[in-house]
Amino acid sequence: MAQEIRQIAIYGKGGIGKSTTTQNLTAGLAEMGKKVMVVGCDPKADSTRLLLGTLAQRTVLDTIRENGDDVELDSILKEGFGGIRCVESGGPEPGVGCAGRGIITSIGLLEQEGAYTEDLDYVFYDVLGDVVCGGFAMPMREGKAKEIYIVASGEMMALYAANNISKGIAKYAKKSGVRLGGIICNSRNVDREKDLLEAFAKELNTQLIYFVPRDNVVQRAEINRKTVIQYDPKSSQATEYRNLAQAIDKNQLFTIPTPMTQERLEEILLEFGLMDSLKDNYVI
Amino acid sequence: MANYSGLIEQERYTCAIGALQTVVAIRHAVPLLHSGPGCGSMIAGFFERSKGYAGGDTSPCTAFTEKEVVFGGIEKLRHNIENTYKVLDTDLQVVLTGCTGGIVGDDVESLVMEYQDKGKPIVWVDTPGFKSNNLVAHSSVVNAIIDQYVSRFEEENEPRSERNTVNLFASIPYQDPFWKGNLREYKRLLEGLGLKVNVLFGPESEGVKEWQQIPRANFNILVSPWYGKTIVDKLKREYGQDYFWFHYPPIGANATREFLEGVLTFAVEQGAKIDSGKAFSFIDAEENSYYEEIDNLASFLLEFRYGLPKYVHILHDAGYVTGLSRFLLHETGIVPVEQYVVDNTPAKYQEQIQETIRSFSGKRDIGVTFLPDAGLAQQKIREVKEKHDGKGLIIGSSWDGDLAKELDDAYVCAAHPMELRLVLTTNYVGFTGGLRVIEDVYNTALKIYE
Repeated sequence: MAQEIRQIAIYGKGGIGKSTTTQNLTAGLAEMGKKVMVVGCDPKADSTRLLLGTLAQRTVLDTIRENGDDVELDSILKEGFGGIRCVESGGPEPGVGCAGRGIITSIGLLEQEGAYTEDLDYVFYDVLGDVVCGGFAMPMREGKAKEIYIVASGEMMALYAANNISKGIAKYAKKSGVRLGGIICNSRNVDREKDLLEAFAKELNTQLIYFVPRDNVVQRAEINRKTVIQYDPKSSQATEYRNLAQAIDKNQLFTIPTPMTQERLEEILLEFGLMDSLKDNYVI
Repeated sequence: MANYSGLIEQERYTCAIGALQTVVAIRHAVPLLHSGPGCGSMIAGFFERSKGYAGGDTSPCTAFTEKEVVFGGIEKLRHNIENTYKVLDTDLQVVLTGCTGGIVGDDVESLVMEYQDKGKPIVWVDTPGFKSNNLVAHSSVVNAIIDQYVSRFEEENEPRSERNTVNLFASIPYQDPFWKGNLREYKRLLEGLGLKVNVLFGPESEGVKEWQQIPRANFNILVSPWYGKTIVDKLKREYGQDYFWFHYPPIGANATREFLEGVLTFAVEQGAKIDSGKAFSFIDAEENSYYEEIDNLASFLLEFRYGLPKYVHILHDAGYVTGLSRFLLHETGIVPVEQYVVDNTPAKYQEQIQETIRSFSGKRDIGVTFLPDAGLAQQKIREVKEKHDGKGLIIGSSWDGDLAKELDDAYVCAAHPMELRLVLTTNYVGFTGGLRVIEDVYNTALKIYE
């Protein structure tokens, strides 16, 4: 029997680097010989740009809008770097319609059209910003993605969002079996960032699965519409992403998160971040 | 809405989009439903024989599908409005938003404003089902028409410029099964006092022309325990029109005289030019014809001893429970016992309604329960059966017929859902309305001898 597909959803605050991290990480997995599909769940439809070297030409919802439910898989699924299959859910114009329902619709359609083939090792869902409504929780509902990773940094709002997302995971954990696999730190070079993230992860009953340092090569690669692994395979950042891919591949720690109160979150921030940086500033 | 949570077995009203019937009741007006395809049919099914000019499933409808949910339904609505203009020659178009459009957040207002800017007589109103019910949304529709349509004609309709004209807000079209007959009777009675009356709905109204002239009225009349209150409040703010508030439909001689005399006094206070002598003669004459029939009936009521109902349970909206309780107690001798107000009356009006009903009898405390679950009300009626002696009477909807059979009670169908009674122009208000109630009640009692 074929091994079960590991379905993984990546959540995190808007602008934290979910799409960049997802694409670099999946590039790492593809290098390891894994079969991967990336499903962009963001109406902006830019979750697979680096893997494809271009924006996806047609999103699932574009196709539905024009042709109805009669969709050919070939028209929405493109192969990118390392044979990674790329799909973009797409969505309505900003301020119109219901993007959340759009995600439900397009994942439903991918299932119906047989996009989840047995040869896949991984499916990644790159989900827009916070879990704002039922639609954006779709990848973690009904046993679709069993693993969630949250991309965060040492900034307060990123941790606030991560905590909120954990509430969503905890809510669905019992019914759908979804588990939190860990926090991925996409570093913003905040003071004592790693310590803070480790403490935060511990409080959340999970782990800091990997700390991705900040490196401008990521931005250069993005301008060239490539993942770092493709753009500069020998760079140290490419190694970091390969290591992240290894860490995810080997991960065994899946937990039901224990989201904290806003007060507790602020306590941790004071303990590990703000207090010290204030003190440091004072010394200077 | 009152806070009622839990399972409701028998709702006797509809969700907010049911207020499309308010539009159907305006001559040559068309409701456009920005909703799923089933909404219009559901409303038509609930009210029966209620499609009018373009109601129910004949209303233009965007018929939301998943595509409109995800991408928004505005373009489809635009298409719908354009095509409505091509095929229907209507005086007023009212776009009503259903649940899906409401959740998706479609900007219906901006779209409708485009057509308003082109001078089209079009109005929009937010009526998603989760927002309120049709009794509340009736006022939303009327207020939206005042805001977006009537206001355009203010220049040629100076506020309070006609001393003897009044706007009447009484029966909710269709939700009150006797609305057409009632409006006709109110109009006839008020004209008898020397007033000119805008009834706004049904065949007795001149349609949009009458709506345009709403500001001209000197004052307004509200006949309702609670629904419609926001309309007269609004008109007071907008046009300085005060209102005379009678809290329930006047049925029979006592309440109708009180209503008409109240209006008369109020009209004079407001500066209307009324010939009081003539007005009182009119009331007297109407009352005399009423008692002429009661005289004829008296011997029957006194001598016919078996099978006539002694007590009554009413399951209806707050207005009819109040109006019928008073009438049946004082003018037929049928004693109102446990009464059930099933219209989801907002909590803030409940005490006033109870107080009004209590005032009808110095000897008996008429029990009133506010219960939007009429199924539960039926259960409660079953439970108190043993308490009461003699023949009972149940006045309710078609759904209460089986209960009456089960309890061997007489039964009058006078509320929606009303699939088992046809009402065209019958009125229950006024002197003649009281006589009609008597006919209905005693006809059902006589049936046992068939």
